[in-house]
Amino acid sequence: MDIVILNRLQQLSERNLLDIAQAKREGRKVIGFYCLYSPIEIAVAAGAIPVSLCGTRNDPIEAAEKVLPRNLCPLIKSSYGYAATDTCPYFRFSDLVVGETTCDGKKKMFELLAEFRPTHILQLPQTQESDGALSFWYNEVKKFKERVEKETGVIITDERLSHAIQLTNQERKAKQSLMDLPKRNPSPISGLELLTILFKTGFFMDKRAKITLINEIVEEIQKRADQGEGPFDPKAPRILLTGVPVGLGSEKVIRLIEKAGANVVCFENCTGYRSVFTIDEKKEPLQAIAEKYLAIPCSVMSPNPGRIELLTELIKEFSVDGVVDLTWQACHTYNIESYNIETFITEKFGLPFLHLETDYSESDTEQLRVRIEAFLEMVKG
Amino acid sequence: MWTELGLNLEAHDELLAVLGNAYKDIYMKQENRPKGMQYLDFVISEAHGLRIEELMETKRKGNKVVGTFCVYVPEELILAVGGTCVGLCAGAEIGIDEAEKVLPRNTCALIKSFMGFKLAGLCPYIQASDLVVGETTCDGKKKAYEILNDYKETYVMEIPQMKTERDRALWRGEIVQFKEKVEQLTGRKVTVETLRQGIKIANATRRALQRLSGLRKATPTPISGLDALLVNQIAFYDDPLRFTKSVNDLCDELEDRVKKGIGVTKNGTPRILVSGSPMAVPNWKVPYIIETSGAVVVAEESCVGERSTRDLVKEDGKTLDEMIDAITDRYMKIDCACFTPNVERTDHILELAKDFKADGVVHYSIQFCTPYTVEAHKVEKALQQKGIPMLRIETDYGMEDMGQLKTRIEAFLEMLRK
Repeated sequence: MDIVILNRLQQLSERNLLDIAQAKREGRKVIGFYCLYSPIEIAVAAGAIPVSLCGTRNDPIEAAEKVLPRNLCPLIKSSYGYAATDTCPYFRFSDLVVGETTCDGKKKMFELLAEFRPTHILQLPQTQESDGALSFWYNEVKKFKERVEKETGVIITDERLSHAIQLTNQERKAKQSLMDLPKRNPSPISGLELLTILFKTGFFMDKRAKITLINEIVEEIQKRADQGEGPFDPKAPRILLTGVPVGLGSEKVIRLIEKAGANVVCFENCTGYRSVFTIDEKKEPLQAIAEKYLAIPCSVMSPNPGRIELLTELIKEFSVDGVVDLTWQACHTYNIESYNIETFITEKFGLPFLHLETDYSESDTEQLRVRIEAFLEMVKG
Repeated sequence: MWTELGLNLEAHDELLAVLGNAYKDIYMKQENRPKGMQYLDFVISEAHGLRIEELMETKRKGNKVVGTFCVYVPEELILAVGGTCVGLCAGAEIGIDEAEKVLPRNTCALIKSFMGFKLAGLCPYIQASDLVVGETTCDGKKKAYEILNDYKETYVMEIPQMKTERDRALWRGEIVQFKEKVEQLTGRKVTVETLRQGIKIANATRRALQRLSGLRKATPTPISGLDALLVNQIAFYDDPLRFTKSVNDLCDELEDRVKKGIGVTKNGTPRILVSGSPMAVPNWKVPYIIETSGAVVVAEESCVGERSTRDLVKEDGKTLDEMIDAITDRYMKIDCACFTPNVERTDHILELAKDFKADGVVHYSIQFCTPYTVEAHKVEKALQQKGIPMLRIETDYGMEDMGQLKTRIEAFLEMLRK
């Protein structure tokens, strides 16, 4: 990646921690988030600082396994491990941590995490289709709003919420314009670069600065693209990665795919395209928030038609040559859903499909490399 | 009849031969069994025989058979429309090759089992079912039902994950919808009269099983854990009236034993509480190892055990609404680990350990059953504070780890004796 961009990301990342510490000294509350289903607008509207919590690296997993079962998803073990070892600065800053009942592992892990920080659990319905799901979820969002009001002492008015929605909509729009860059063929950016920018900016507390920075990066990369520059051979296979969320520290599959000469052009996951919805600014704000968040197509939903719809859209828009479905070990919902996703991808699009199940460690890297290379051979056909 | 049901006949015969032998080795070799167990021996020998004929007979009369996997499905409503509620096959390593074509290998054995039984055509109960009911208890089941639905239509009830008023409202809504579903299935209305009858029948079975459980508090305990587990397992598919009567007869005999101080084991035998994931028939592996290692299982804190029999539905409802309220309240009390924070389960375990004078707890999780494997930590901590040792076991339906489990259980019992 462009050295200038990298340096700016690095500088801002370092300053970010100082900024949060400073804001906390000035009395602002910090609210830590793990999951895309938790509406950050509530924190923004209360003038609190929403931060993403750590959970993408292998380092604290050993410590987590003293309490959690070994055969549990690495994302959950990592999240818990960071908290238990007090090695995530954002967790340390958090006055309140937000969890949700997405999957069995997280739901039960949060019971144990609550020992370290006040934790608010959002109860997510298990289906989007039932008559009561949206009103149930609306009430959960409302309860969360009340909790944040209590923690911050700020009354969250509709006006505050509307402003928060405008800001986060802009943020999501900026992210989308970044994620849309690889629609160009050849793509001007690698999947790993894209992930790095998304991941690093994901921790920034200053959303306006983040939006400006992302927009500048997009412009910079567009220029490069106009000059015909790109990181890959124009004939490099274009891969869509679907499944579980990925961050720095757990990017090994992306690294392996791109080392083998293919380009990951799109992420159909919670770090990627699932996160760039637009909340309706004309509706009653809490209702608009509830609607958009409930519609997120995670495999915890049963059934989960939204994922099929999103995949259909993305496969076309990104001229995809093959699909890799990534499951973290012991993540049952993605693991089981993979069967239906594979059937859909192969029958509807006739695209090569590879399901990978792995964790954050490096122990299976060689094996993965062999499987990915064989898969890419097939993609090139 | 078997062809009519679409069973795989040859494989089904093989399955019955294997099960018959296992039953002989595990059950018939026990010493000092109560005579009342003969009825249960008979039922199990006819689980894939006369009982299926009975189901076909009731179907011919225009009644419906509803198959379930979980104690959250309210059988009162099934009984209220003249239906028969049966637990579906999910306790043996069957059709694994078939199941693993559609499910990941590292899925809980119970889930792979029901899928395997269906895909291999070996469960006469699911074949005979007019409706199969699933529930969103855990990740694995929730997602597996989406696939099972391709092979047998599966109606799914949404289980809340907490126990607030709003959760109760959600669950009540699900129960009302289920009532409409069984009404539509049978063309019969649930009335105050029929639902009252359904509640009474289901409660009577629970009372009989509570009575059985209560008798196991005695020292020495009058019945083995294996036999008591079998009774609880058979509760899921036998005719409820006949079953309840037979369990009460068995309890009469056990009462007599308790009075006379007769037990299945000597005084001083370590008393074990088994807690955790359900054991569907013929999953007898862990209690078998425990009881052939010189201990006795005195209670099962499990859905095949205390969790399905502990709470009754209040019988004083006068209107349908009141009865549905009573059913809602009863089922909301079930403390499966799929709930959060589920502190009541830990409390119940402590209570059971005390009431049954348990010397130790064996925490049993089916491999990859995330809710129970994670919750085990809290359970262990709570037991530790009370000075009750706990052994954590995580296993599947295979026999590969029998030796290893036996070694661990023997070491645990050794520690208890000291």
